[in-house]
Amino acid sequence: MATIRIDVWLYGALAHYGGNPDERVFANPQVSIPEGSALRDLLKALKMDTQERGITFINGDLSAMPGIQPDLDHPLKDGDRVAFFHLQSMWPFQYRHGVGMIAELQQAMLESEDSGLHHTYQSGKES
Amino acid sequence: MFFVRVNMNDRTYQVTETPPEYRHLAGRGLTSTLVANEVPPLCHPLGPNNKLVFAAGFLSGTSAPTSARISVGAKSPLTGGIKEANAGTSWAADLAAMNIQALIIEGQPKEKGAYWGITITWEGKPKVEFFESTQYTGKVLPDVYPAMYEKYGDKISVCGVGMAAEHGYGNSGVVFNDMHKRPTRYAGRGGMGAVMASKGLKFIVLNRMGAPGMPIVDKALFEEGRKKMIDALRTHAITKPKGALNTYGTAVLINIMNEAGGLPTRNFSSGRFEGAPRIAGEAIFETNKKRKGEEIYNHACSPGCIIQCSNTIFDEKGDEITSCLEYESDWSLGADCGIDNLDDVAQLNALCNAYGLDTIETGTTIAVAMEAGVIPFGDSKGAINLVHEMGKGTPIGRILGAGAATTGRVYGVTRVPVVKGQAMPAYEPRAVKGIGITYATTTMGADHTAGYTIAPEILGVMGKQDPLSPEGKAALSRAFQATTAFIDSSGHCLFIAFAILDIASGYQGMIDEVNGVLGTSWTADDILKQGAEILKAERRFNEAAGIGKEADRMPEFMKTEPLPPHNNVFDVPDAALDSVFAEL
Repeated sequence: MATIRIDVWLYGALAHYGGNPDERVFANPQVSIPEGSALRDLLKALKMDTQERGITFINGDLSAMPGIQPDLDHPLKDGDRVAFFHLQSMWPFQYRHGVGMIAELQQAMLESEDSGLHHTYQSGKES
Repeated sequence: MFFVRVNMNDRTYQVTETPPEYRHLAGRGLTSTLVANEVPPLCHPLGPNNKLVFAAGFLSGTSAPTSARISVGAKSPLTGGIKEANAGTSWAADLAAMNIQALIIEGQPKEKGAYWGITITWEGKPKVEFFESTQYTGKVLPDVYPAMYEKYGDKISVCGVGMAAEHGYGNSGVVFNDMHKRPTRYAGRGGMGAVMASKGLKFIVLNRMGAPGMPIVDKALFEEGRKKMIDALRTHAITKPKGALNTYGTAVLINIMNEAGGLPTRNFSSGRFEGAPRIAGEAIFETNKKRKGEEIYNHACSPGCIIQCSNTIFDEKGDEITSCLEYESDWSLGADCGIDNLDDVAQLNALCNAYGLDTIETGTTIAVAMEAGVIPFGDSKGAINLVHEMGKGTPIGRILGAGAATTGRVYGVTRVPVVKGQAMPAYEPRAVKGIGITYATTTMGADHTAGYTIAPEILGVMGKQDPLSPEGKAALSRAFQATTAFIDSSGHCLFIAFAILDIASGYQGMIDEVNGVLGTSWTADDILKQGAEILKAERRFNEAAGIGKEADRMPEFMKTEPLPPHNNVFDVPDAALDSVFAEL
């Protein structure tokens, strides 16, 4: 079966999914997965539970925030850059207002409470 | 409450009751209103007619959490417009405890090169005394700050200016003591240091002993609000103990902005820096852990702060290089200069603190100089040398000390990331267009702290506009700027906004706290209106100073040069930018 190669960036506590169990700063593994895979398949290949990740980017476009993960079925293609952040990261609203988002997240934000005008989206706004 | 006016013409002072029209103003609202009312808009910022105003927030000096902010206002030598810069420090709480609502520094001594300090003590009302300070000039701040504690004891708070201010730089801050009596907490932006130095004033020493403390009209309401605020800050993911800010500090944004393609790199020529992970908050935390043998969580910049986001960078021997290295400083002295050596970035930050330079303006200026070929991008040792030149006041140091805009003019650089003469902070407007609208339109010149939001009800100001359309973003920026002007008046650190936007009881807590202190019954609508009035006063001053809507624009290169990796330009129409203040 044909495979695609994904340029994966893992930050903070997620860095150990890159292969070095002691790494806590960042890791940049190149992960091969079958053609036609979606983001959930990449998570499976990394052996990372989706709830462990927070802010996520696909090719520099925001695709998920803690509490909003509409990107699990987002198709990936060869050479995509996917970045996963740990849950202690943050990105306040005013510093991301107007950034590139994948269409699925843009839709989910508009449909979320207060059109997404929040800093965090976890239940109870707490972690 | 009192107004204390210090006249540096003849070194006299006056203490008066707060005039009724200023009774319900504090922090930025008070500094900006006073400057707008009393400073001739066309005066020279470093001349005798400018005034330097200090005002603590409504809640400074109380037990409200994270509330020891001091605002410093004047006409800016960097932008030529109105300026408010603020810092977190015990100095704010002490000024409020002495019931000084505004400290206004006026005039200018005739003696060139002579400096004085003032002490303010409590003797039934504030008492000002002058002392010679010329002997403390021409030296780095860490070498002269301890002299104030030796002279006036441990119970004081100290405000001062460094060599950058003595040189008259547009890039020079006013510094305040941190929790360890060190000169590290800066009202950094816009050259407020040079305004203070132009008045022959080197230090302002406060000793609150015997002072009555900040009066609270409705203590029960204040307590209720305070508890709501504490609950919000202690439970929100960003502000809680061992949360994002307490663990990684604001530098946690380095990797985020880099992945978003919005981390300005090598003088705003790219949105992504390959060295970002090596200078980011995660790297700082892990490097400290390795060097100190334990996890080091961040500390408070000022008394009563429960967010505690200030980090420390330790060297290989475990000794401190600098504290604190904020995201914007880390970015400007790191990514924007193409520097990925964390220890050298920390060293640059420490030098800025020692000379009294604004870290954002310094990094962006060096990046412009790098683009001009003065030194190569990535040359961290060369950058350290340039900061020393700035401190020493050599010819090239003075060019750089005038800021990024002047440096660009001197070297013929066209890619100069400034608005109204002030260098842009760490969020690329071509990638984050919402903040670009705020950069362009704020009265302060490009400023990342001008547009925070505190309540989702703000969406109501947009009517049926799409929040992602240019018009929708402009409407949100207008509301963000108004709410920020109020937070900057409250005495709270802006970072409370992270918690209270998401936790409605926290937002109500802030309103209750302020109403408790003042005995008012302000509502959420009143807060938005007050913020808007502050912006209007600032705008009036700027227009009279020759800074009208034509200045509410991004630099040309951002409209024509696509920014990798997204390859976007800043395409928000001028009409949308104009609507921010036209519809205020």
